[in-house]
Amino acid sequence: MGANASSIDTKSDDQLAFLSVKSNLDDVPEACIALVLSYLDPPEISKLARVSRVFRAAASADFIWQPKLPSNYKYIFRELLGLKVDGLGLKDLYAKLSRPRSFDAGTKEVWIDKNSGGVCLAISSKRMTITGIDDRRYWNHIPTNESRFQTVAYLQQIWWLEVDGDLEFKFPEGTYSLFFRLHLGKATKRHSRRACNYEHVHGWDLKPVQFQLTTPDGCRVTSRCYLDNIGTWMQHHVGDFVVKDGTVPTKIKFSLTQIDCTHTKGGLCVDSVLICPSSLAKELSYC
Amino acid sequence: MITLQSSDKDVFEIEQSILIQSGTIKNMVEDDFTFIPLPSVDTETLIKIIEYMKKHADKTDSKEKNIKEFDKDFMKKTLNELFALVFAANYLHISSLLELLYPSIADRIKDKITEAIRQIFSIRCDFTPEEERRIIMDNKWAHEGTEIEGTLD
Repeated sequence: MGANASSIDTKSDDQLAFLSVKSNLDDVPEACIALVLSYLDPPEISKLARVSRVFRAAASADFIWQPKLPSNYKYIFRELLGLKVDGLGLKDLYAKLSRPRSFDAGTKEVWIDKNSGGVCLAISSKRMTITGIDDRRYWNHIPTNESRFQTVAYLQQIWWLEVDGDLEFKFPEGTYSLFFRLHLGKATKRHSRRACNYEHVHGWDLKPVQFQLTTPDGCRVTSRCYLDNIGTWMQHHVGDFVVKDGTVPTKIKFSLTQIDCTHTKGGLCVDSVLICPSSLAKELSYC
Repeated sequence: MITLQSSDKDVFEIEQSILIQSGTIKNMVEDDFTFIPLPSVDTETLIKIIEYMKKHADKTDSKEKNIKEFDKDFMKKTLNELFALVFAANYLHISSLLELLYPSIADRIKDKITEAIRQIFSIRCDFTPEEERRIIMDNKWAHEGTEIEGTLD
């Protein structure tokens, strides 16, 4: 499978002979088709692998996939997932990365956007520091298949809402957006139908919640937002950060707080934080 | 003057200064060849290649806009013609033409379904049904959930 197609830049007489053209596309040089395919997006390339054996071989040429993989792909495979990279075609590596992969004892997931190769991360509420999380009067971890982590932190009622998290991860260079995935109301399944319990939802209309992001250069981005949209999962945009050097780990901190103790608030599900390239962030619903 | 001979045995006499845009021909000229057979390039394709090289031989500033217009029109050919050109340009090492052809061809094939591409190029599917199923499975990742949230919302 996937013989590496020779680049047209190295020219020996043997290779020139190999590249001699015949009129029937069945004899088409693999390298030539590979060069055409290199101008397409990954999903299109993989679709064309179906055309014939030559197309399939061309679609697997490593030189096509090298620029499409994120610059930190070896870091992701070796250090985060503990998987081998050598001996595998780059197309296979790209395919493997396009599906979410769990790491850090199941509290994080990483994947790449299949069209752009942009690196995305999700961090579970399990990985966050939540004030009062051990007190069942305030918070409970509830199992749900509406979270990619199969569990969310559910707030029944509290005065001091504080959810803190941090991350150290080697991102490729670029601009990234961070979101909190939240839900007002407790979603349950009754006879395979989704039902929502709103009995604890209160206090969100009195004062806004505060989102904060501390960027790699130490700047703090703060925003405030009234939580409404009961019964729907919302990705709340916290802020953006820029990664200038993809060769070193990036450190960020993020938080969700509502510490006005004149009122209680409750009925909130905190699922996770999502980080993705800002160019992909536009399709998400956020406040 | 250099003489080129196509696979159909037609001959063309062209100035050396125009032909050196082809890396392959340039090498042969430097080795003192004046008659260059091109068994891999048919007459129809060679005519187009010569037309391209003639237009691109004079790259003075005043001609630049002219050349861009020409290039745009030059790409308006059937897919079969473009593929014939890309193989010839590949063999002849005409990088400027290749840089035009690769994205143009890519653009034209990307929205076509597998069967359409096979028909256009008269390729027979050389996979067994089992192999074809395997390929579809292997490439499933490319067609799963387009949203960042996947199956959740």
